[in-house]
Amino acid sequence: MNNTTSFGSKIHLNNLTVNFDERFQLDNIDWVITPNQHWMITGTNGAGKSALVAVLAGYGDIISGNLNGTPKRVGLVSFEAQAELIAQELKKDDADIMDVISEGTPVHEMIYNDCADKSLAESLVEKFGLTELLDRAFRKLSTGESRKVMLIRALSSKPDLLILDEPFDGLDAEMHSLLQAHLEALSNTTQMLVVLNRFDERPSFITDIAYVEDGSLSHQIQVSDKAAYEALYQLLHLKTTELEIPPVDKESALPALDPEQPLVRLTDTSIKYDETVIFSDLNWTIKPNEHWQLSGPNGSGKTGLLALITGDHPQCYVNDIFVFGFKRGSGESIWQIKQFIGYVSTALQWEYRVSTNLRNVIISGFYDSIGLYSNSSDRQKQIANEWLALLGMSDRADQPFNKLSYGDQRLLLIARAMVKHPPLLILDEPCLGLDDMNRQLVLALIEKICAGSETSVLYVNHHPEDKIKGIENYLSLDK
Amino acid sequence: MSNNYFNTLPLREQLEQLAKCRFMDSSEFSEGVEALKGKKLVIIGCGAQGLNQGLNLRDSGLDVSYTLRAAAIAEKRQSWKNASENGFTVGTYEELIPTADVVLNLTPDKQHTPVVNAVMPLMKKDACLAYSHGFNIVEEGMKIREDLTVIMVAPKCPGSEVRAEYVRGFGVPTLIAVHEDNDPKGEGLALAKAYAVGTGGHKAGVLMSSFIAEVKSDLMGEQTILCGMLQTGSILCFDKMVEEGMDAGYASKLIQYGWETITEALKYGGVTNMLDRLSNPAKIKAFDLSEELKLIMRPLYNKHQDDIIDGTFSRVMMEDWANDDVNLLGWREETAHTNFEKMPAGDVEISEQEYFDNGILMVAMVKAGVELAFETMTAAGIIADSAYYESLHETPLIANTIARKKLYEMNATISDTAEYGCYLYNHACVPLLEDFMKGIKTDVIGKGLSLDDTGVDNARLIEVNEALRSHPVEAIGATLRGHMADMKKIV
Repeated sequence: MNNTTSFGSKIHLNNLTVNFDERFQLDNIDWVITPNQHWMITGTNGAGKSALVAVLAGYGDIISGNLNGTPKRVGLVSFEAQAELIAQELKKDDADIMDVISEGTPVHEMIYNDCADKSLAESLVEKFGLTELLDRAFRKLSTGESRKVMLIRALSSKPDLLILDEPFDGLDAEMHSLLQAHLEALSNTTQMLVVLNRFDERPSFITDIAYVEDGSLSHQIQVSDKAAYEALYQLLHLKTTELEIPPVDKESALPALDPEQPLVRLTDTSIKYDETVIFSDLNWTIKPNEHWQLSGPNGSGKTGLLALITGDHPQCYVNDIFVFGFKRGSGESIWQIKQFIGYVSTALQWEYRVSTNLRNVIISGFYDSIGLYSNSSDRQKQIANEWLALLGMSDRADQPFNKLSYGDQRLLLIARAMVKHPPLLILDEPCLGLDDMNRQLVLALIEKICAGSETSVLYVNHHPEDKIKGIENYLSLDK
Repeated sequence: MSNNYFNTLPLREQLEQLAKCRFMDSSEFSEGVEALKGKKLVIIGCGAQGLNQGLNLRDSGLDVSYTLRAAAIAEKRQSWKNASENGFTVGTYEELIPTADVVLNLTPDKQHTPVVNAVMPLMKKDACLAYSHGFNIVEEGMKIREDLTVIMVAPKCPGSEVRAEYVRGFGVPTLIAVHEDNDPKGEGLALAKAYAVGTGGHKAGVLMSSFIAEVKSDLMGEQTILCGMLQTGSILCFDKMVEEGMDAGYASKLIQYGWETITEALKYGGVTNMLDRLSNPAKIKAFDLSEELKLIMRPLYNKHQDDIIDGTFSRVMMEDWANDDVNLLGWREETAHTNFEKMPAGDVEISEQEYFDNGILMVAMVKAGVELAFETMTAAGIIADSAYYESLHETPLIANTIARKKLYEMNATISDTAEYGCYLYNHACVPLLEDFMKGIKTDVIGKGLSLDDTGVDNARLIEVNEALRSHPVEAIGATLRGHMADMKKIV
């Protein structure tokens, strides 16, 4: 085939809102598909992937916006279309008033009637192993078999645009690679939109990826943009896997806290430099299992306040501070305090400049150290591996931390903070400096943590849109 | 006038004290800070060491406060601000010293005699006096009241590093010692160990040494290879490159950041690794240059060590102290006016490898300086472990300071004692290398070898590699870095 040949159409979705029987709505979709592109459409279940491609096949009611440039012949293979065909077939049965058992339409009719390229269809029937089934009724086929029929119908209809919604689902390994190879060859002449839930099934000819979320098209990236591709991969991974928060290490378990005591109690606290008072007379109590959001303008002392709790602010010794059973300044060491706290901030990320690998960064959370200076146990390594799997970074476990993208570093530091299941997790502007995709990644991870553990989350932030489900207490500092 | 303590000892004891140095096992620190728990620690002085050690000790659960001269408190000087802004109790000698179980003297060497004379009468009976440097005891012969325990805990890094490493959950290598003339209750070692744990030093490795070995090796290292050699090398290499018509901005950058880059290789794998970063022909070149440099500079290193051992150095320096630091301040000013200091680093990209390839002479200077300092120290009876720490180990620390601040600020940052010795070395070494530098071209400093032929003679390469690897500083270095690596999985 000649790669320089142009194929496909320019399809333009402009601020398009589409309703599907009031069950589902796609909102304000802006999307331009240009010739020679092959798109993969991905997202979590129920996000609207199938709806989006169905619009191009003529489904749905357009409420507002424009849809231009959809080609005449669109081939669509999807479970919905398959179900629709089968439903039609069953209707035929119902409609039959004669007292004979109706078999419904045989496979060969389904394939060869209205077929644009008969010889292609014939060769596919043979390739896909349907020869024996040609005389069988379509509705008697198994799901996989009827899926093959759908594929042959679409492929041999010589479409200008081929839409494949989860084409590999329900196919065995052999059939899977057969189809892959066929699509590969077809990609030189026919434009394709492929809906896929799993990144690892992405055919190599895909040039662009659309990410659908809650009925919106939230990300569009080019496959050649490696950094964006990896971030999207992880986002999908975090959103779609049902992984649990890895367990706590029994050997390095924390000392038990009195459940009746607050985790933190600040009484009339203040921070002062010279004559400047950052805040004063501040009282705050954090009880076990309470989630808090702390907000306030720049310079209001949010980070200073947190540092009083973590013991990183030297004035913690001149304030009335009770944390995790210790009155500060009564002979406790900061390591006795820090063991109960998981902490993530931009400053920590800047300070975490040691050259160590991803796994060790997570393990360092057991020791509250920046870098790893102790021999870790096999159990700790295993837990770190489970966290890496949760983050979708297993294959990068031995890579150096400082070579990671900024967003990935942040994710890893959250895992480091959580690895010991601390009673208190402090997230000081965890989304600061992150792009939209990475912000969603971080928030997805935090929500997983809020929902799945006994940890109290203390979340500092001044972006109201970065809300976290499950936070019910608020403290606001004034300047 | 002062009385040199070392010179009062018989040779047998001098040798015994010089040879004291043992790398302690981490199991020796299992008691943690217990020996200091509940005791009142009062730190004199709140500069970089004073403040940062105090922060660490307090974060380790110890009771720390600061005492300053009445004037520093009344005038709210920087030291007062340092202590009070960090939430420490600050008081005069009269207010706090009588309450102290341990007095930590973290003032500059120069102030030790007046400070100790002022606080000693105020100290509780049977209390402990701790130093971070033995100069006052060894060189000035300060006599401490017989009931007092005298110890030394000397972190082998600048104060800011002492804090930064502690916060990371690690520490810096630390030397501890007990002054045997002042250990009436035999508790000196326990207190010194607890102090080292309190600053985090036990995590990075502790050397048990003596006041004498610490002073004589510390002075030698800092004035020769650490500060002196890098100062002299910076000035000579910069002037040579400019003289040869190279861009001054490039030359300035190559030197300012070059020391840091090449000594990073030294830190990881000793002199051998530093030279292994060069191509084979460049390695042989650097080796030959360093042999030549060692031959020329050996008498200078010997003189420095001799003057340190017999007390000449400290006597001369103390004369300058008594003379309002006229020499020191004059020399510091001269540093500000060197061509290298005045030329800012150019806006040019220099890759990590380029610092090696174009800095062959700098590599040769570091190698010569490290080996000479090590050889001279061990020949004077200082044990190899001490000699390693005071030469090779600390070189990257000074190189980092030059990368951040160039020479003037490097000198202002280090102790006055180190700075004074650095100038003495530089003044002697620059003229000493005059002829040598005449033969230097940009192939070894600035541009790198023009490698039409990258081949080398096998026999010669084997010879050079063998010589590099068999130097005694490499053997002890491998052992000590091994200890470090056991404790610090990642450097």
